[in-house]
Amino acid sequence: MNKRQIKIKRERIAEFLCCLPAVLLILVLTYYPLAELVRISFTDWNMLTLDYNYVGLKNWQWFFENAANNRFLDSMWITIRYAVGAMAATIAGGILFALLFGRMNRLFGAMRAAVVIPRYIAMSTSAMIFLFLMNGEYGVFNYLLSLLGLERVNWLTDGNIALLSVIILTGWHSIGYGMMIYLSSMQGISREYYESAALDGAGKLQQFVYITIPLVSPTTLFLFVTQFISAMKVFQAVDVLTGGGPYFSTEVIVYHIYALAFEDYRIDRASVVSIMFFAFILLITVLTMKWSDKNVNYDA
Amino acid sequence: MRNKKILMRTVQTILAIGITLIMLFPIYWMINTALKPSSELLLPVPRFWPSQVDFGSFLMAWEKVPLGRYLFNTAFVTFWSLFFQIGTGILAAYGFARGRFPGRDLLFLLVIGALMVPPQVTFIPLYTLCSRLGWVNSFQGLILPNTVSAYFIFMMRQAFMTVDQSYIDAGKLEGLGVLGVIRHIMVPMCRPTILTVALISFVGSWNDYFWPKIITNKDEYRMIAVGLVRLYDVFGTNEILENMNVVMSGALISMVPILILFVIFQKYMLSGFTKASMK
Repeated sequence: MNKRQIKIKRERIAEFLCCLPAVLLILVLTYYPLAELVRISFTDWNMLTLDYNYVGLKNWQWFFENAANNRFLDSMWITIRYAVGAMAATIAGGILFALLFGRMNRLFGAMRAAVVIPRYIAMSTSAMIFLFLMNGEYGVFNYLLSLLGLERVNWLTDGNIALLSVIILTGWHSIGYGMMIYLSSMQGISREYYESAALDGAGKLQQFVYITIPLVSPTTLFLFVTQFISAMKVFQAVDVLTGGGPYFSTEVIVYHIYALAFEDYRIDRASVVSIMFFAFILLITVLTMKWSDKNVNYDA
Repeated sequence: MRNKKILMRTVQTILAIGITLIMLFPIYWMINTALKPSSELLLPVPRFWPSQVDFGSFLMAWEKVPLGRYLFNTAFVTFWSLFFQIGTGILAAYGFARGRFPGRDLLFLLVIGALMVPPQVTFIPLYTLCSRLGWVNSFQGLILPNTVSAYFIFMMRQAFMTVDQSYIDAGKLEGLGVLGVIRHIMVPMCRPTILTVALISFVGSWNDYFWPKIITNKDEYRMIAVGLVRLYDVFGTNEILENMNVVMSGALISMVPILILFVIFQKYMLSGFTKASMK
């Protein structure tokens, strides 16, 4: 080997060593836990004790045989309903806000910043504020409703309303994010499209429907995937605002897993539910990617 | 035609101002509540500003829970999380963007794959791992899951790939090793991206709730987002409503660092969104 080859070899090794710490940490913090989840799912570990036995498929049996009453399906259904509401806020709300706040001057710049600020406030802090705003008796929301001559709403104690209250909180928190994403996407659309449409006599509404919406579809897809997954992971807002109640009406899937593991101490069962939850997220992500290859417009 | 345009613009401005005010209302109400004396919290007709400004609730918040301790813990954990994330992230980003060692793409796939695995799925095994290490209720336990960020590596790699090869070659001719190239060429040229991603990590770590709630249950290690809920819980169900000014004072204190960052780095924080959406 000549000198030059040795030098190149050394460089390759150095480059590999650069990646090594991150890769090792990711193996320990992401992939090892996934394998460990599967292992725990075959034990009877209940966290109160250090010993455990392997019990084969017992926990999986529990999961599938009691599917009707072990709360997994219920909490998945609650989470999906939540996700639809949360996505409507970020995606539909985001695109409407982007239209409304899109003007480029100082006042609108300041207003955009104001709309985005909630995103940076910790969710637990935000939930704490809404806990007071939504209080049935003294909350200012109900006071404002009474000014309008409307009946008071039991935001947090009515099982039919509580999930909507969580959606209002997280919608307030993330609508500015959707707006910013759409604004940057809309800026990429060439003005020519709008000019030629205007020449053909298309009004603002038609321009929006036939030009803006199709040309921001990659952004919509991006938001759809990322917001769906982040909505499926919702925990903080529920934990602080409703604690999963009343009567389990806001017990989302992560809250369910948390309660199994840290309230019932059944980490064996919690592992089974975690695996199923993860499988669901993966499945949805893959399906959306496949579907989008055919249906999304990347021409903007 | 012209008149119609002016009318549209006026309507847009009024609507935008109205919606901005609605969006700001919860924040305004937090401040309003924090400054009120207890006696004005539960009036049948709520006051939209305090009759007299009362800072007593701030002192009370400090007395009820060790807010200073929470803030210190949060700053400490955030600092070290960022330290490790930036360190491991920049090194790996260089290796993946510029390295040419065998197996590079396979390892990168491993990193990208980690983006698909949410912490809400892995927290049970991570908890048992920390438990075996004796890291429940410890700074090591709080920091460990935040020592690496696949997202950070991904974003930095994108930035490093845009640096022109000729700069790197020139650096190597000058005798720079891999670390020298990273330090003297890559980092200075990609400073805005590093800053943006670091800010996102900072906010994420400062506001983190899920993992700190799981791994700590003592004030000694509690972080602010969880500590705030603690402040809420120390008042019983009967007392909480008349002490909401104390809780809101705590909430206000907890977000001060983030608001300061937002004011200073607004440009970077807002551009972070755009960066995140480009694939």
